[in-house]
Amino acid sequence: MIKHHPKFELLQGFVDGDLPASLAAGIAIHNNMCASCQQKVSQLTEQVAEASFEQSFHHKIIVNDEENLTEIAEMDFDDMINQITASDDVEPTKAIYDERSIDFKGMQYTLPSALRNIELSKTAQIGKLSRARLNLGEGEIHTSLLHIGPGGSIPEHTHKGFELTLLLAGTFADAHGQYVAGDFIMLDKRDQHQPATEHGCLCYTVANDALHFTQGINKLLNPIGAFIY
Amino acid sequence: MLSVHSVLPSLKANATSNNMTNKINHPELCQWLKSIAIDRDKQAFTQVFRFFAPKIQRIAQSKINSEALAAEVVQDTMSNVWRKAHLFDDSKGAATTWVYTIMRNVTFDLLRKMKANKEDNLSDDIWPLAELANTEEEVFTDHIQSRNLQGIIATLPENQQQVVKGFYFMEMSQEQLAVHLDLPLGTIKSRLRLALGKLKLKLGDPHD
Repeated sequence: MIKHHPKFELLQGFVDGDLPASLAAGIAIHNNMCASCQQKVSQLTEQVAEASFEQSFHHKIIVNDEENLTEIAEMDFDDMINQITASDDVEPTKAIYDERSIDFKGMQYTLPSALRNIELSKTAQIGKLSRARLNLGEGEIHTSLLHIGPGGSIPEHTHKGFELTLLLAGTFADAHGQYVAGDFIMLDKRDQHQPATEHGCLCYTVANDALHFTQGINKLLNPIGAFIY
Repeated sequence: MLSVHSVLPSLKANATSNNMTNKINHPELCQWLKSIAIDRDKQAFTQVFRFFAPKIQRIAQSKINSEALAAEVVQDTMSNVWRKAHLFDDSKGAATTWVYTIMRNVTFDLLRKMKANKEDNLSDDIWPLAELANTEEEVFTDHIQSRNLQGIIATLPENQQQVVKGFYFMEMSQEQLAVHLDLPLGTIKSRLRLALGKLKLKLGDPHD
């Protein structure tokens, strides 16, 4: 059973469209596996939509917020209406998408639909770890698919920024317990963890700074931190 | 539905001649969308356009801070409404929710084009329009979770409700709220913090 969910603030940011694509895609993937978060997002979307399009809200804000909103000129709507309605194009009722899959160490995984159009780079490997970068172009935020082979682990580490690990397939465990597909694990710089997997797993990871290994010999592994991140 | 009057009582003094009803006529919006879908009815589209376009323009303007790009959001959103009206299903959700989703997606792709220089148009993969409504069978047995968020917010003290609704549902900044409610900014911030703490508790956030 999924035990780890996005915080309320993240769901709110998701509904508003204010999150980076990396995190928004993570929440979309989680919601596809988690009916309770999907329900929350549906309700929130309905309420935000209702409030956005209420008449008096806008009129009143305009009266009060002189700096920004009174200066917006009404554009020429008639032209726009004519232009739009001149087109006969109609969206196909049912769009058909090809499923997209990826191979890691001979295992084939179907990618979640939220990831089907994101540019994917070639897989790189160190030992039991394989990583394919998702090229979202979000600067310091790096997004990857990370596969850990059976019996593999990531040495204990911390990181300076945030780190999202969303388990897509398989299971892993760390000091906090066992994780299953759909678990949405958001860590920040206070947390340390050392995930290990018995049978192998595939994760969607988003981090905004390199991991930093903390223990003994593992400090020598710090290049792996940059690899995973 | 949210009533602005009960949310922000101090605004009453600023009511204008435009202050008609704040109720959205949902059946009428649905009817217009159906007419667009079935008859390609230009009159109905004009009505829908006149209802949504000025609001979309203001929302986009405040988010993107460019008049030209706000116009682009209006154009793209309303073109989608014209092309996709037959995909709207009023048994799955309100017309406002449907148009909001289109607007949010168009804005997201546009901002991504600007900031990340990517034209990958990911929004429809992240927020699929067709799956907008929750078609899952009833999954909630927990009576607290199944109550809607509005109901939970209604349990907050009145002064916290004002701040939560203003901040989250009306996208007002904390500074704007401070001015509207005539309160110090610190008070707004602490009310919001208190309210969020309670909401998380009631929504069963596993992180706290």
